[in-house]
Amino acid sequence: MLKKAKPGHWRYLALAPLLLLLNGCAKHSAWWIFNPQGVGAKASYDYMMIDVVVMLSIVGITALLIVWFMWKYHKGKNRGSYDGKWEHSNKLEVAFWGIPIAAVAFLSWAVAVHGSFAVNPYNPTVITQHMKPKGDPIDIDVIATDWQWLFIYPQFHNMAVANELVVPAHTPVFFKLTSTAVTTDFFVPQLVGMIDVMPGMRTKDALESSHLGTYQGIAADYCGAGMSWMLFKTHVVSMADFQHWAKGVESSPNTMDYAQFNRFAEPYINVHNKTPVYGHVEKGLFNHLLLEVMNGKKWPLPMFMTENMFHYLKLQAAEHRA
Amino acid sequence: MSSAHEKPVDPDQVVLWSDDYEGHDVISTRTFGFWMYILSDGMLFATLFAAYGVLSYSHSYYTGPTPAQFVAPWYTFIQTMALFLSVLAYGFSMAAMKTGSKAGVINGIVASMVLGAVFIGLDIHDVLRMISMGVTPEVSGGLSAFYALTQVHAAHIFVGLIWMLVMLYQILKKGFTEDVVGRLISLRMFWQFQAVMWVFIYVFVYLWGYMS
Amino acid sequence: MLVNLPGPWSPLLGRLALSEIPYTNPILAPLFVIIVLAGIALVVGITYYGKWGYLWKEWFTTVDHKKLGIMYIILGLIMLFRGFIDGLMMRTQQMLAVGSGHNGMPLMGAIHGYLAPFHFGQIYSAHGLIMILLAATPLLVGIMNIIVPLQIGARDMAYPYLNALGLWITAAAVFLIMISLFVGDFSHNGWFGYAPIFELAYSPGVGVDYWIWTLELVALGTTLGSINFLATVVKMRAPGVTWTRLPVFTWTAVSANIIALTSFPCLQVALALVGADRYLGTHFFTAGFGGNLMLYTNLFWLWGHPEVYFVILPAFGMISEVIPTFSEKPIFGYITMVLASFAIAGVSWIVWLHHFFTMGMGPYVSTEFSVATMLVGIPTGVKVFNWTFTMYRGRLTFSSAMIWSIGALFLLLIGGLTGMMLSIPAINYMVHNSVFVVAHFHMMLLCIVYAVFSAIIFWFPKVFGFKLNEAWGKIMFWLFSAGTFLVFFPMFMLGFMGETRRLDWPFNLQWAPWFDIQEVGIAVYVLSVLAFLWLIYVSIRDRAENRVGADAWGTSRSLEWITDSPVPFYNFAMVPHVNHRDEAAWRREHGFSDKRPEKFAAIHMPNNTPVAIVIGALTFVIGFGLTWRIWWLTVAALVLTVLVMIYRSGKGDPGYIITAEEMEKMDRESRQKMDDGHAPLPKGGGYTGGTVTAYSAEVGDPGSQSTPPGNSRPLS
Ligand code: HEM
Ligand SMILES: [Cu+2]
Ligand SMILES: [Cu+2]
Repeated sequence: MLKKAKPGHWRYLALAPLLLLLNGCAKHSAWWIFNPQGVGAKASYDYMMIDVVVMLSIVGITALLIVWFMWKYHKGKNRGSYDGKWEHSNKLEVAFWGIPIAAVAFLSWAVAVHGSFAVNPYNPTVITQHMKPKGDPIDIDVIATDWQWLFIYPQFHNMAVANELVVPAHTPVFFKLTSTAVTTDFFVPQLVGMIDVMPGMRTKDALESSHLGTYQGIAADYCGAGMSWMLFKTHVVSMADFQHWAKGVESSPNTMDYAQFNRFAEPYINVHNKTPVYGHVEKGLFNHLLLEVMNGKKWPLPMFMTENMFHYLKLQAAEHRA
Repeated sequence: MSSAHEKPVDPDQVVLWSDDYEGHDVISTRTFGFWMYILSDGMLFATLFAAYGVLSYSHSYYTGPTPAQFVAPWYTFIQTMALFLSVLAYGFSMAAMKTGSKAGVINGIVASMVLGAVFIGLDIHDVLRMISMGVTPEVSGGLSAFYALTQVHAAHIFVGLIWMLVMLYQILKKGFTEDVVGRLISLRMFWQFQAVMWVFIYVFVYLWGYMS
Repeated sequence: MLVNLPGPWSPLLGRLALSEIPYTNPILAPLFVIIVLAGIALVVGITYYGKWGYLWKEWFTTVDHKKLGIMYIILGLIMLFRGFIDGLMMRTQQMLAVGSGHNGMPLMGAIHGYLAPFHFGQIYSAHGLIMILLAATPLLVGIMNIIVPLQIGARDMAYPYLNALGLWITAAAVFLIMISLFVGDFSHNGWFGYAPIFELAYSPGVGVDYWIWTLELVALGTTLGSINFLATVVKMRAPGVTWTRLPVFTWTAVSANIIALTSFPCLQVALALVGADRYLGTHFFTAGFGGNLMLYTNLFWLWGHPEVYFVILPAFGMISEVIPTFSEKPIFGYITMVLASFAIAGVSWIVWLHHFFTMGMGPYVSTEFSVATMLVGIPTGVKVFNWTFTMYRGRLTFSSAMIWSIGALFLLLIGGLTGMMLSIPAINYMVHNSVFVVAHFHMMLLCIVYAVFSAIIFWFPKVFGFKLNEAWGKIMFWLFSAGTFLVFFPMFMLGFMGETRRLDWPFNLQWAPWFDIQEVGIAVYVLSVLAFLWLIYVSIRDRAENRVGADAWGTSRSLEWITDSPVPFYNFAMVPHVNHRDEAAWRREHGFSDKRPEKFAAIHMPNNTPVAIVIGALTFVIGFGLTWRIWWLTVAALVLTVLVMIYRSGKGDPGYIITAEEMEKMDRESRQKMDDGHAPLPKGGGYTGGTVTAYSAEVGDPGSQSTPPGNSRPLS
């Protein structure tokens, strides 16, 4: 009965291990981490490969040694000679400390140090180093509520979109992020790594991609009952398309001042994946919010959204059907 | 290690069982364990200090008062003296124990208790004064940390006082048994340690807070 | 001072009301009925067989480190299986819920799967907390409790009463978290909690309060235990047990307990401050009013990372005992093994930031902590190499204990590999908070579980006098390993597919096949649990055939193997004089294995006491009262606790004396029982290595191969 709701579900099972791995190179791959489409994500991927190669060579050889010794020194098989007193060897012990020390030294220099600067969310050198893009960088203010995302474009008349992010390709995008109520993480697996989004605080992140497409954005840190639904599609579009889209949004009659934002920020589980647009939000909304939260503004959760959610979830579903 | 001398073992000479093993010394074992406890108590205070450090930037006090506006280092200095004298009195009592003088021990502990009670009394009075000024833990993160650190220390002192009371009773009832002596030694470590912690609190919270 | 609550509160019952018992919940209500019925059956059974007195006298009031250890282990195993059930529920939810559209069970009120989001959150939070602190920790503490005193030739722990107290406080924590199933809710914020979602405004129920007080109780119990272990090893070693003769397991116990002693206070403070925020309205971790929510994360992981090494180090120690025994060789590189343990313990203090690289602390700080984290990999690597080369030139017997240990090695390799990936910020940003991290630490924690099963099989005959069934031990190993592979290989893959953790609704249908595989895996795990129960049953049934002597494996090495199996309550009739690090191997090699003490002396043993269990019960009441804000109950229980402690302190424990004659008699009887039961083992290899090389074929068991094998290294 349950399975019926998911046609094609079992088909995947047959393909599972092998085909999905091969599938790894396709554009709309399921292997998000292995298919980076953003500059930052790509850099992370490259570092991961270096790390894995170095570590796997040590770990792999050790595993093989263990298996080999298990085979060779199996009691009663007389394959290897027994020496029940052999318990120490200066040469070997130097090697045992030396190999991991060398590996860690190499990884520290090649991956940890370099990588931390390359994809530093506040100033990723992979993006900022060659900033002569085909357009000026775009700023986006990100506000996470319980449990929606609001993306504000200050350079475009403070227009805003909820639960959907649109960015132009080949253009650095700089995010400032904060949250109304609780902590979560901003994450678009194929484009940019995670950054915490915290109430009363501002973090930063940056993204650049040259691959048009739609990528899944996720609230990656647990932030309450609506967290699984706190998703946003990220569209990387051409500059022309982006300008066109922005025109459309800016002309939307829908606007939002702080009072309206206050209502928007009330706990809401976005089960229906609504993506309202706002032609204009109050100027300085982001900073205003930061200040309010630091002054103790909260959006408390009502009991019925925590303890026993059956009733609430039914309401949510009903809204959808109506 | 394999280079060590390898000499055969004579089965008649070898010692397999410790015939004259006395067992462990009860008091030193107890004291060692209590050192371990002190170590963990030190970590507890270290963590509270860390929390206080993080929560003592000017923005941590929100719009409320900062320590400079409400601490009274001179008043607290009296507390410091009371606690130090209490430790001193306890020291006298331990000296008396060496000579086996029950009265000396009891007098020392009673003096120590009275001085400790003075410390607590002053602390309560100080807290009441601050509360009456509107300095309460709910005002800001900074004040929360201030109260946590100082009052956790006060709670330790309170526990110490109860412990002293119990020890008085035990000395009177049992005399200087191994258990009682062991506990008295542990209590001395506890009491001295609280005094040391207080020095840090006094310097970093009261003096420093007053000056910044 | 006290905060205003969002719900009703009464002076008598606090927040407690009948409506807090989820009798309408279609999952919990039947479970509740089952547990109540089982409880009644148990009580009736015990009463019928008249075992209450026995239980009370021999177990509930005992201060014997072995019995306390056994109870720790039973507690840990029960919680391990409870944790499995949580795992089963989570896997099932994700398998059912995956993909878009309405695929939920309306019956249960869920839009997706069969659980409401908040319920799902409670399950993984309880799962994490239980597995790390109420399963792994008690299992390890239990084994250390039994083995450490035996390995150093002590009659008991330094403070037997404190030991009992630690157990009963841990048991109180277990009761508290179990009762949260049926009375109110548990926290939904993950085992480590997030600021500021655990603040009252965002978690208005009692769940977070249960979480706080459960953790506080375990922290207290574990800290008491660590004091005891350290004092025991430092003060209670038998003559001859010098620091360089301490078995590796005891060394790891020392390093682990140093970590526990110094790190648990951080947790206690962090949680007490959360409690202050929730109860007193302070602003430690709030977003406003000058609070600092990042402080919580720092304080928690300041404990959290050392904690993970607190649990892995004893597991390393167990592997270090099992592999040499079944390789018939001393451990390779004893000195570096010990140094590595302390290196791990030391470094574990300076890496905590790697749990939140994504907080954006800047490239300099990130790099420092990244490098520090990778440093941990060095001593860990050394240990693995040493184990590997312990097998080199050995004579390996793949008994069930050995294969569990070797399995642990492989898990450690995978966990180390992935840990080294996670410790690099550039990589961490992509997989932090994803199931990749979950898979990483399950590799590590399963390494512990494997080591624990290895240790249980290995030391079981020492404690009970008979071996566990080898065949079923192996069947369980293979089932368990199949489960491990089927659950966690897909989990790594899902990590690479970008699945973040804690999703009650995994939205991406492409993940579905992997969830299905995992579901099969968890089913296999359930089979392995059944195999374990069967293993226990079969072994007890056939115990007569599996009786063992002092040296249960014939190739055992350290001191615990020279005393009788089962270990008599006084451990050693005479305190041994220790001549070698691998005392049992040394005595066997020189033909002293069968020598018994000739002279006996009177010994002093501690009395049983009901105080520990009473205080344990009172701490449970305190936790419960605080959770539900029943102030009178809390205060009453607290005052009572203090009074009981004062009472105990006044009464003291004079202990009792067993005279030399009695000792001699008991020793003879114990010996008799052991010899009657077991078939003599062929006394095999297991040379001590190092300093002593004389062999006397005459002294030993006639049929034994106590001559050096022909291909041994020539003596120099
Ligand atoms: C080679 C040694 C190890 C390294 C380099 C390492 C590295 C890491 C890193 C960097 C993280 C943070 C991942 C993240 O949240 O983004 C992590 C998480 C974790 N590790 Fe390890 N680790 C190692 C060994 C261990 C061991 C021995 C254990 C314990 C048994 C362990 C248990 C955990 C746990 C429980 C977490 C995550 C907790 C959570 O987020 O819920 N790790 N490890
Ligand atoms: Cu788990
Ligand atoms: Cu860690």
